Amino acid sequence: MMSFIRKRAFASLISLILLVVAVFFLSRLTGDPAALYLPSEASEEMRQQFREIYGLNDPILVQFGRYVWDLLHLDFGDSVRRARPAFEVVSEAFLWTLQLAVITMTLVTVAAIVVGSMAAFRVGGFFDRIASLTSLIGASAPDFWVAIVAIVVFSVGLGWLPTSGTGSVWHWILPIGVLFIRPFGLIVQVVRGSMINALSSAYVKTARAKGVKTRPIIFVHALRNAMLPVITVIGDQAAALLNGAVVIETIFGFPGVGKLMIDSILQRDFNVVLAAIMITAIAIFLMNLLIDLAYALLDPRIRY
Amino acid sequence: MIRRSLIWGTLAAATMLTPAFAQDSTVRIVLNEEVDLLEPCMSTRSNIGRVTLQNINETLAFLDLREGGGLQPKLAESWEQLEDGSWRFHLRQGVTFSDGTGFDARDVKHSFDRAMDPSITCEVPRYFGGMTIEAEVVDDHTIDFKADPQQPILPLLLTLISIVPEETPIEFVREPIGTGPYTLTEWTPGQRIVLSLRDDYWGETPAVTGATYLFRADPAVRAAMVATGEADISPSIAALDATNPATDFSYLDSETVYGRLDHSVAPFDDLRVRKAMNLAIDREAFIGTLVPEGALLATAVYPPPTLGWNENVEVWPYDPEEAARLLEEAKADGVATDTPITLIGRTANFPNNVEILEAVQQMLQEAGFTVELQFYEVAEFEKLYSKPYPEGRGPMVVVAMHDNSRGDPSFSMYFKYASDGRQSGISDPKVDDLINRAQAATGDEREALWKELHAYLHDEVVADLLLFHMVGFSRVNERLDWKPTMATNSQLPLADIAFK
Repeated sequence: MMSFIRKRAFASLISLILLVVAVFFLSRLTGDPAALYLPSEASEEMRQQFREIYGLNDPILVQFGRYVWDLLHLDFGDSVRRARPAFEVVSEAFLWTLQLAVITMTLVTVAAIVVGSMAAFRVGGFFDRIASLTSLIGASAPDFWVAIVAIVVFSVGLGWLPTSGTGSVWHWILPIGVLFIRPFGLIVQVVRGSMINALSSAYVKTARAKGVKTRPIIFVHALRNAMLPVITVIGDQAAALLNGAVVIETIFGFPGVGKLMIDSILQRDFNVVLAAIMITAIAIFLMNLLIDLAYALLDPRIRY
Repeated sequence: MIRRSLIWGTLAAATMLTPAFAQDSTVRIVLNEEVDLLEPCMSTRSNIGRVTLQNINETLAFLDLREGGGLQPKLAESWEQLEDGSWRFHLRQGVTFSDGTGFDARDVKHSFDRAMDPSITCEVPRYFGGMTIEAEVVDDHTIDFKADPQQPILPLLLTLISIVPEETPIEFVREPIGTGPYTLTEWTPGQRIVLSLRDDYWGETPAVTGATYLFRADPAVRAAMVATGEADISPSIAALDATNPATDFSYLDSETVYGRLDHSVAPFDDLRVRKAMNLAIDREAFIGTLVPEGALLATAVYPPPTLGWNENVEVWPYDPEEAARLLEEAKADGVATDTPITLIGRTANFPNNVEILEAVQQMLQEAGFTVELQFYEVAEFEKLYSKPYPEGRGPMVVVAMHDNSRGDPSFSMYFKYASDGRQSGISDPKVDDLINRAQAATGDEREALWKELHAYLHDEVVADLLLFHMVGFSRVNERLDWKPTMATNSQLPLADIAFK
C-alpha cells in the first residue's frame, strides 16, 4: 500500500512539474500585464517602469528560473493586482471552495445513493420514474439559470434566504442547493444503472431465495458491489467542484478559487494563476489517491 | 405529522433568522467588482475610488459635477497662481489624520512625491504626462507647486492626489490612513470592507455612521440585494433591471462611445467619406432600443458638463441619401470608396456592444460602404487603438468607450486628437495649435478655445464617428436620500448620503 502511495506521489509530482512549466509559459502568451494594468494613455516610460518593478523585462527563461527558485523556497511571489502574497490570496479562496465542495459532495453522495438504489429496486415503478425524471432534469439544468431563479424565488419573492454572500449558515443554502443539482442528477443515474446490474446478479437472487429482507439486499449485498463505477463519477464531480464552481461563485459572490482563477487570468496576475493551479492540482491528486484507496476498501479483489 | 411540523418549523426559523438588515445609520453598498487594493494613490481606479475618495482620504480640492458646482476647496482653503505661474495652496488648519497625527504641508508634498514615485506603480502619473511638477513647502500650512510648462488647471489635476501622512512608506499600503471622515475598520478580502465614522473629523459630521462594501459580479444579484434590503446602494445595475422608478435612477456616466477614424488611411483621408459615414448612422434609432433611454447623442468625446462644451455643435442628421451621394461623388473623383472597412469592437466593452456594432455595420452598408465587423479581447484591441498602429493596416473604425469625468477637455483632447496623441487618428496643425493654446489658457479664454476646437473637430475636420454619451443605472434603497451623478463612476462620498 505504502509503495503504491509513493508511486502515485512520484507520478503526480512529475505531472505537477509539467503543469507548472506549461502554465508558466502559456500564461505569458496571454500578453503583457503592463498593457492591462496601466491605462491606455500611459507613456512607454511608465510601462517600462512597471515591467522593471515586476521583473517582466527579463528574458522569459530568466523569469522562469527565478520563479522556480522562489517556488523551491515555497515563495509563490506577489499578486500584482493585490499587492500581497499570491499564496495567501489563493489559500483564502481555496478554503472557501474546499468547504463548499466537501459539504456539497457529502450531501450529493448520500442523497444520490439512497435515491438511485431505491429507484433501481423496482425498475419502471412510480418512484423510479419520478427519480429518473428529476435526475435527468437536474443533470441537464444550466446552473446559472437555476441560481438566478433560486434567488428570485427564495430571496426576492419569499424572502427566506439571503441572495448571496457569506456570513451565516443561511448564506450557504442557495449555493449548495444549486451546486447539488447537477452532480446529484448524474450520480443518481449511475447508481441506478449500476444497481440494476447488481440486483439482477446471481448472489442477489440467492439472497432473496434465502428470504433476506429488502433493505439488507439493497444496502448490504448489492450496493457495495455497485459502488465502483459510482465512486469514479463521484471523484470526477468532486474534482470539478475543487476547481471552483465559477458560475456559482460569481453569482453568489462566493470568494472561491474558481472565480479567483478566472479573474487572475483575465487580469494577467500570473503568480496567482500559478499558485491557484498548483494548489488545486495538489488537492485533486490527494482526492484521486483517496478514491483509489476507496476502491481497494470496497473490492477485496483490488490490491495495490 | 411530525415530518410536516419539522418542515414548517425549519421554514419558520429560516424566515426569522434571515439576517437582520440594517435599518440604522449605516449603509451597505454593493459594488460590481472586488476591491482588491485600498491604496490611496490608486484611487483613480473606480472601484478603489468609490471606497477611499473623500471617505478615507481627502484631496486638496474636489470637482463638484453638479449644476453650478465646479472646483471646491477641501484640505486647501484657497489657492492662487503666483506671478511666475506656479500655484500656492493655503491649507486648512486643525485637521488630523485618523492615526492622530496632524495634517500639514509636508504631508501634501509627500503624498504628491509618493504618487509620482517610479518605484511604485501608482496610476496618477498618467495624468501628469509631459510636465514636471515640483512641490515646495513654504510653511506648515502653505505649499507651492511649480509646473514646467505652466499648468493652468493644476488645482484640478491635484484633485487626483489623495493626501496621506508623511510617514506613509513608498510601497502599496493595505491600511490607508487619511484625513477623511471614515476609517477602515474591517477588510475581509473578497467579502467585505467596513468603514466607520471617526469622532475627531475636522469637518461637518456626516449622517452615515458606517458603511459596508460588498462585491457581486452579477448585475441581477446586485439589483436583487437592494430589493431585499441586503444592500442600500448598488451604483451600477443593468438597464434591464432598472424597472422600479422609486429606487432606480439613471445618470449620465461620463463615458462616450465613438468610432475612431484613421485619417492617414484611404478612403478616410477624404472629407466626403467621413461625412458620409456620419450621415449614414441613424443615432436616434438606438436610444431606448439598444442604448438605454437617457443616453445623449454625442458631439464630442467628453460629456456636456465639461468646460468649453459648445452647445451650438449639432449632432449629424440621419440622411442616407446624402451619404450615398457624397460617396458617389468621392468615387467619381477616384477615391477608393469600395475598399472594405473593418469595424473593430472590444469584447464586453459596454452593454449591447455586439448588437450596436452590428446595427452600425448594417447602416454603413446601406449607405454604400463595404464593412466587416471584428471583435478583439482587450489587449489585442489596445494594439489597434493605441499607437504605434500596425503597419499595412486597412481602413479601420475602432469603436471605443472613453471616460472623462474630470471636467476639462484636456484629459481627452491631447490623447485623442493631437498629431502625436497616443490614440489620435488625425494630424491637423490647427487642432494642435488650438490644443496647445487651450491647455495654456485660463478662464474665459480657455473656455472659448475649447469651444472653438469642439466645433472645428466635429464640423470641419469630421474627426471621427461620435455616437453616444452613455448612461448608467443605480438602485438606491428608499430610506436613503441620495441620487447618482456623473461622479458616481469614480467616487461615492458617504457624506453626501442622507436618510429620509
